[in-house]
Parts: sequence; C-alpha cells; structure tokens
Amino acid sequence: MFLALRELRRTWRRFILIASVVALVALLSTVLTGLANGLVTDNISGLRALPLTNLAFSPGAEATFSRSSLGPEALESWKQEPDVKVTPIGVSFVNASSASGGRSIDVALFGVAPDSFLYRDAHGAPDQHEASRGRPLHGLVLADELKEEGVKVGDRFRIGTDSGSLPVIGFTFGGTYGHAPIAYTDLGIWRQALFGNEAEPRYSALALQLPSGFDVTAADRRAGTETVSKQDAYAGSPGYSAETGTMTLIRAFLLGISALIVGAFFTILTIQRTRQIGLLKAMGASSAYVLRDGIGQIAVIVVLATAAGTLAGSGVIAIVGRGAVPVELSASAVIQSALLLAGSGVIGSLFAFRRVTRVEPAIALGVEQ
Amino acid sequence: MTENEGNTPALALRDLSVSVPDGQQTRILLDHVNLEVAAGELLAITGSSGSGKSTLLALAGLLRRPDSGEVTICGERTSDLGERQRTDLRRRQVSIVYQSANLVPSLTAVEQLELVGHINREKRKTARTRAESLLEELGIGDRWNQLPGRMSGGERQRVGIARALMSEPSVLLADEPVASLDPELSVQIAELLASETRSRNLATVIVTHDEVPLNYAHRHLHLEAGKLTDVGLADVR
Repeated sequence: MFLALRELRRTWRRFILIASVVALVALLSTVLTGLANGLVTDNISGLRALPLTNLAFSPGAEATFSRSSLGPEALESWKQEPDVKVTPIGVSFVNASSASGGRSIDVALFGVAPDSFLYRDAHGAPDQHEASRGRPLHGLVLADELKEEGVKVGDRFRIGTDSGSLPVIGFTFGGTYGHAPIAYTDLGIWRQALFGNEAEPRYSALALQLPSGFDVTAADRRAGTETVSKQDAYAGSPGYSAETGTMTLIRAFLLGISALIVGAFFTILTIQRTRQIGLLKAMGASSAYVLRDGIGQIAVIVVLATAAGTLAGSGVIAIVGRGAVPVELSASAVIQSALLLAGSGVIGSLFAFRRVTRVEPAIALGVEQ
Repeated sequence: MTENEGNTPALALRDLSVSVPDGQQTRILLDHVNLEVAAGELLAITGSSGSGKSTLLALAGLLRRPDSGEVTICGERTSDLGERQRTDLRRRQVSIVYQSANLVPSLTAVEQLELVGHINREKRKTARTRAESLLEELGIGDRWNQLPGRMSGGERQRVGIARALMSEPSVLLADEPVASLDPELSVQIAELLASETRSRNLATVIVTHDEVPLNYAHRHLHLEAGKLTDVGLADVR
C-alpha cells in the first residue's frame, strides 16, 4: 500500500468520480434496504410478533390462511402431542365499516381463543385492555397504527353481515399482516363474521409452540395438517414473496452494477498505469505486490465511499420514515448492506487481475514483447 | 547455476538472438550477440532508432527473454530460471536508469527511493535514512520533498539515478539517460554515471544517441543489423 496511499493522498481528484458513483450506489442500496425491510415489516410484523414457533395449515394451503381450514380433529390430535402448546387461530381480511357512518377500515382480523397464549399476547402491550383479560373479547383490540389514524376506544365497527357492530375495546402492538393493520377479536366473533355461525368449529390454522427437535412430520401425519415454521409462514402473506423477491433482485442488481463499475474503473486505471506497472515490475516488484497495492487502493476508496453513501442513505430513510412510507433500517441491516456492497466492489476490482499480471516489465523501456 | 567467480564479468550476454514480427516477415533484432561487462566498467552502445538497443537492454535487465542465448548476471545463468527467480535476481543485482527518469508522478524524490526499499522489504526507517543520504550524495538533498512535476529535467534524472542506486545493484543499465537534457546537464549526468560506476564498482551499460556519454565510456559498441561491433573510443573523440 506504499504507493496506493500516497497516490490517493496526492491525486485524490482522479478518484472523486468513482468514489461518488460507489457512494451513490451505497445510498441507493441503503434506501432500498430500508424500504424492503419496511415492506416486510408492513407485511408480516403482526405474524412475526406472535409468540408461536410454527403454524399448522390444511394440506396444500401453502402457508396461506385464506386457503386453509382446519377442524376440531386436527386441534385434538395436536393437543395429544407431548410438550406442545396449541391454539386455534382464525385469520381473514375484512372491511370494518364504522357503525356511526364514519370511515371504514381494512383490517386483518385475527380471531383468538380466550386464555390461549396468543390471546395473552394480544393484550400484553403497555396500553392493553386490562378489563377483558382472560375473558372472550367482546369487541376489537386494534393495532396501534389505527389509533394514529384517529380511531378511538368506544368507536363501533360493523364486520360482515351478522356480527352486529363491535366496539373498539383497546389498542395493542398488533402490527400488520398483508399490509393491513391487525384487529384482534374473539375466535367466536371471527367465526360469526366469516361463517355467519359462532359455533362453527373451523379455524384458519393452528398456532403451535413446539419444543426443539420435535418430529413435525409424524405429528402432521397424525393430525392431517401441513406445518411450517413461523418464518416460512411469512411467504403465505399476500404479496410477501413477490415484494421480497423484487427487492432482493433490485439489490442483487445494484451489487452487480457496483462490482461492474468498480471493475471497469480499475481496468481503465490499470490500462492507464500500464507503464507504471511495468516500471514497478522492472524494479523487482512481483505481480502480487502490484495487485496488493492496486486492490488495497480500490478497497480504501470503496470502503470510504460506501460508508459515506450508507450514512447518507440512513439519513434519507430517517427522513422518509417520518411520512407514511413503511421503512425500517436496523444497524445490522445497514452493516450487512454496506459490507456486501464494499465486498462486491473489491471483487469487481479483481476483473483487472489478469491484466495486471500480464503487464511485462519490458514495457518500462518501451519494449513490446 | 554460478560460473567460476575468478574472472566472472558482472554481466555477460552470450550468443543472444531476438527476432520480432514485421508484417508477414520476421525481422532479426539481435543476431548472435556477445557481450561482457566487468565490474567498474562503463560501456556505451549506440545505434540507429529501431536497431534493437532497448531490446538489448531489456534482455540484460532480465525484462524479457531472448529467442536463444544466455544472459548471465554476476555469474548466475538465467535461461533456466523461472519468472519469480528472474524477478528476485533483477531486484538484487540489476537497476535501470530510464530516459526522462520515468519517475512515479505521485511520489516525492525521497519516496521514489523509499519505494525501492519497500519492494525489497527493507525496514522503513533504514530505507528512509539511506534514501536521504543518496539524494544528498547526488546533490539533490534539498529537493527530497518535491514531486517530479516540480523538478527540473536534471533533477529528475538525478533522482532516477539515485533510485537505481538504492538497491545497491551490480549491474546498472541506462536507457538514453541524457536524451532530454541540455548539453550542460548532459555532461553532469554522464559524469555522475561515470563516477558512480567507479565508486560503486558497477558494470554500467549506457544506450545512447548522444555523444556526451561516449566521452566517459571505457568502451563504445555500435549495434547495427543485429550485430554489435566495437567502435573504439578513438573514432568518436
């Protein structure tokens, strides 16, 4: 790095262009990471927050609540499994229209059974509705997001045709599912809204708390269910796979573009430096010495530019996050994004590897081989 | 492989031949050339443009391989050496002074020399001390912190010579070292090369178009049509 660092210090202007491009790519990558994570959060944060390890769906449902329907046989079968906690859950997307003629809201209605581990979680938030703990929810416990939109405790909403109007009895961190805020209610009310019959013994799925090493396949066979982990169940959320796939593709393209840009820049730089590389080799420097110097130089540029771009991108996300756009940026996501970008840039510089090794020392004397 | 150390020349070229493509034909640049340069001897080689002078220098500096023949540096035959061994030998025994100095634009005078130390894995402090001392010795101690762009042609060439001497070579090769200098500076640089050849017991080969270096050479050879002929100094004086 003897030559690389001095060159950076004294001829920094020639590196401004490449540093700016890398910084912009880093900025874009960070913003996209924030948006992608925001989308994911907006899609499955409600499911992610539930204290369950697995979900059992009906076979062929592909982790999609709307395609799954289970009855009491499956629930009873899972209840027989040792060390397993199981509770039914009903999930459907509904429009809740204001009983007083105000605005209507789209919600992901989560029907949970009283005294289940899900029920307790629905009321475990700081502003829980204490009065109803342990008893059937005769109303709606809404995600905080709706409070920010002006919905108040006591407001009444009509869900489906036969349920009558239900009061809002509290707010909790419910998060969202399929980009809709979650509304918790009693499993019976959910059945009433979906089937028109509170006693209909059907559920969307079974929420499970499984011990580690549990034989899911055997239990599934016995219960006639298809069990997936909570993480795998995210894919069943509407649009989740398409959104994460699109964002991953965009980020992968950005990494590829970054590698290509840095590679192209380093190749041009190598061509410009052919005589100097020849001189270094004529002075007794090995190809490895020249490569170390060149790649070290690119690494310094890429790391500094990535750090600057990432910092700027985090600032952009902080500003955007104040609005309605769902964004989320954790330190680990920022670091991971920056490392990937810096790594791809340095890998891109290896494109010029062969060119450096092929420069003949005789070129220092103007002699072509 | 090392030859008998007794009367071993520092540089020996034996039966060297090189040809290059020239359209559909091949052109013979060097045709069974033989040359020996002893330690402390300064040899000048002249020749017209394209006669193969730089190629001869590249072969002597182990910068390229001949089609046939043998280059021996300080008794060590090089034809069987791999690239890494040739690079090692070049780093230890051979240095080159280039036309227009060929300095690295982003390094100061002292750093040009320190770079040699860095390539040779010399301790940084030792390299710095030696570099400063060499610049002082060559009369440019006060220019140690200047970049090449802020130096005169003569100063640049002195730095180029100091850089070549930094690795304490046995063989010093100079490619048109005074080509871009005015007559007065040409004399100074030629004198410097001659005095360093003497004081450091170098085997020096100068390839030149100019007559000035010939005044300081022990022998003068002329390269034409791939053959080296001994001109004898009387002819040029």
